[in-house]
Amino acid sequence: MDIELGRKSINCNEEGDSQKLGTIDPKSTPFANIMEVDRVDGRTGNQRRPVVCTRGVLNRAHGSASWAQGDTKVIAAVYGPKAGTKKNENPEKACIEVIWKPKTGQSGKPEREYEMVLKKTLQSICLLNVHPNTTTSVIIQVVNDDGALLPCAINAACSALVDAGFPLKHLAVAICCCVADNGHIILDPKKLEEQNMKAFIYLVFPNSIQSVLPEGSLKPGGEVTEHGIITSVTHGVMAVDDYFSCLKMGRAAAVELSDFLRNSLKSKAGNDPSKAG
Amino acid sequence: MSSFATFAKTLLQTLSSPPCVFTKVKTRCHHRDCYRRCRLRRRRLQAREKMEQRLASSLIMTVNEKKFIEDALLSDIRVDGRRPFDYRNLTIRFGSEDGSSEVQLGQTQVIGFVTGQLTQPYRDRPNEGAFAIYTEFSPMADPSFEPGRPGETAIELGRIVDRGLRESRAVDTESLCVIAGKLVWSIRIDLHIIDNGGNLVDAANIAALAALSTFRRPECTLGGEDGQELIVHPPDVREPLPLILHHFPVAVTFGFIGKENIVVIDPTHYEEAVMGGSMTATLNTNGDVCAIQKAGGDGVLQSVIMQCLRIASVKAGDITSKIKNAVESYNTQRSLRKIKRHNLDQQGSSDVAKHHMERLTVGSDQSGNGSQFNEHDKTNKRNNTLKGFSGGPASWDPYSSGVDGDALRTTLASRVTPLDKHKEESSPVNPETKPSPKSSDTIGLEMKQSKTLKDAVKPKHKRRNKSNAC
Repeated sequence: MDIELGRKSINCNEEGDSQKLGTIDPKSTPFANIMEVDRVDGRTGNQRRPVVCTRGVLNRAHGSASWAQGDTKVIAAVYGPKAGTKKNENPEKACIEVIWKPKTGQSGKPEREYEMVLKKTLQSICLLNVHPNTTTSVIIQVVNDDGALLPCAINAACSALVDAGFPLKHLAVAICCCVADNGHIILDPKKLEEQNMKAFIYLVFPNSIQSVLPEGSLKPGGEVTEHGIITSVTHGVMAVDDYFSCLKMGRAAAVELSDFLRNSLKSKAGNDPSKAG
Repeated sequence: MSSFATFAKTLLQTLSSPPCVFTKVKTRCHHRDCYRRCRLRRRRLQAREKMEQRLASSLIMTVNEKKFIEDALLSDIRVDGRRPFDYRNLTIRFGSEDGSSEVQLGQTQVIGFVTGQLTQPYRDRPNEGAFAIYTEFSPMADPSFEPGRPGETAIELGRIVDRGLRESRAVDTESLCVIAGKLVWSIRIDLHIIDNGGNLVDAANIAALAALSTFRRPECTLGGEDGQELIVHPPDVREPLPLILHHFPVAVTFGFIGKENIVVIDPTHYEEAVMGGSMTATLNTNGDVCAIQKAGGDGVLQSVIMQCLRIASVKAGDITSKIKNAVESYNTQRSLRKIKRHNLDQQGSSDVAKHHMERLTVGSDQSGNGSQFNEHDKTNKRNNTLKGFSGGPASWDPYSSGVDGDALRTTLASRVTPLDKHKEESSPVNPETKPSPKSSDTIGLEMKQSKTLKDAVKPKHKRRNKSNAC
């Protein structure tokens, strides 16, 4: 698995159903001032780490996926739908339960926050009326944390839901941007970069819609759906302009990532016998 | 609290709450339909519901399936095609960090993480380190695993692995002591079961052993003004040290199925649901039995137990060799990765190969002085590190006789071509790589590097100053 190759070109690997992807073409982005940033591993400001997505990792789970962005690796498993909802949940809709397992130590407050964010994000992409009065459990296991952990987990959970065959409106694509002290916007930081930055944002976008009709994607209220933001979690202080430029950069990265996601999830469709029960 | 106060409290509670609709009684009602104040009943109901839910999602085997498994075993065939004493395929992988392992035994998958931190020792063992094992039965492994407090199987698994490692003294705890009575290393082993395909104990044990073998703890020395201050060297400054493992206690699990107590090794989760009893024997390759766990279940003849132990010792040897091979290949990969990263740091600025040759011709006496330089002069660090790298073992001890320059030149010349290849591969990809901004690339790293590189490339090369090696 050649990581240097993965940064520059698209490499489809047949064994183990995993794929890697490279970077945004630097010439196409409108952010000329990003290039000057120096990063430890030699990436430019708008270069993602190579992504490895594997579906069907576990045997017992109804759906499972592992998502690795560089050194950050997360495994997600989906069980469900199970009968009955929790006490305070609406019984007319499906309920999604998220369990976040950290790498070491007990689950504490940060894990609860991740669970809540993940639950709300997944609730917005799932078709909840298809299975009312049921509970679907999504279990996240952190294997390694090297920056951009929550976006990695959201991507893994989305792939696991697809692997389980859960009905979704669209996919969710998560990306992390951060603002450096000198005002530069950097994509997909590592852990050390995240800790040294002024602020960082986790952004989740719906994936781009490919329509059969020539009219193109839905336009509710005039705005294209693929420009919507599902989730935005910020840490640190940043200027409003910085936030908007992060959004722009994140959207550009999300478009490319969503193409990769669609290709990698499409390849295994129709091969698996049902794993439920 | 005084008795009058408690009396007053209960009186107030009963008077303020509404009476039971069925019995019209104000005090605690045990009417089975009165849910409002029958807390005891309610709690019991909740527990029962939870257990029903758990059983509903646990493995339910039909009578046909059970009979099929038992009948097939009468002709020495197992459901997945193995023979009764065959292990499933074992795959051991390692994560990118030291001390993380991923073990796959057939359909069972376990991840192990080892972390360490400095703590105070136990008062009755002031010069021994501590280690603790935490087992997490993740809900992703099995629909019947609940999050939260570990169940009895999780605790039993943790105890078996712990007993195998602790009682048999596989992990050398005395080497974990830093300052006797004040600071020791406390090792924490986290085992996450992520897929339950049966025989979790064996897989978890292998994951723990693999993770312990690849864990590296930072080196600490006593320094400072009075020699009492503890300095923990970060991994870039000084190479972290591995743990000392005296032997590998490997757990082998047997299941006893059917009335005739047919023995199978490494049961799958279907066989576990059918089996009447199980036994786990923890052995090592020296022929020691570290632990045996047979907690209840069907009674088994003594001769069968002895036969199981004999088979287990053979299997333990197989598994130990597999673990050792996997750890060795990981270690060589790790040292190659370090060398590659070190070379990338250097090549960003100058033509390394030519510099090596030039500095060698200058002679090894200068390299002796070079080592003194490096401690104090960090600005010329890049040149000095190059010098140190080419100097090799002579630069560790400036007072020893130098290494023959010609011999070193030939050995380094043989290594120059791989360096060139690395440089060509990596330069188009990392044109902007600058040398690591941290001032941690001291001579210590280079000495370790050259030692590791020599180990990897020229194992027969005799180093004069082995005693001075740090």
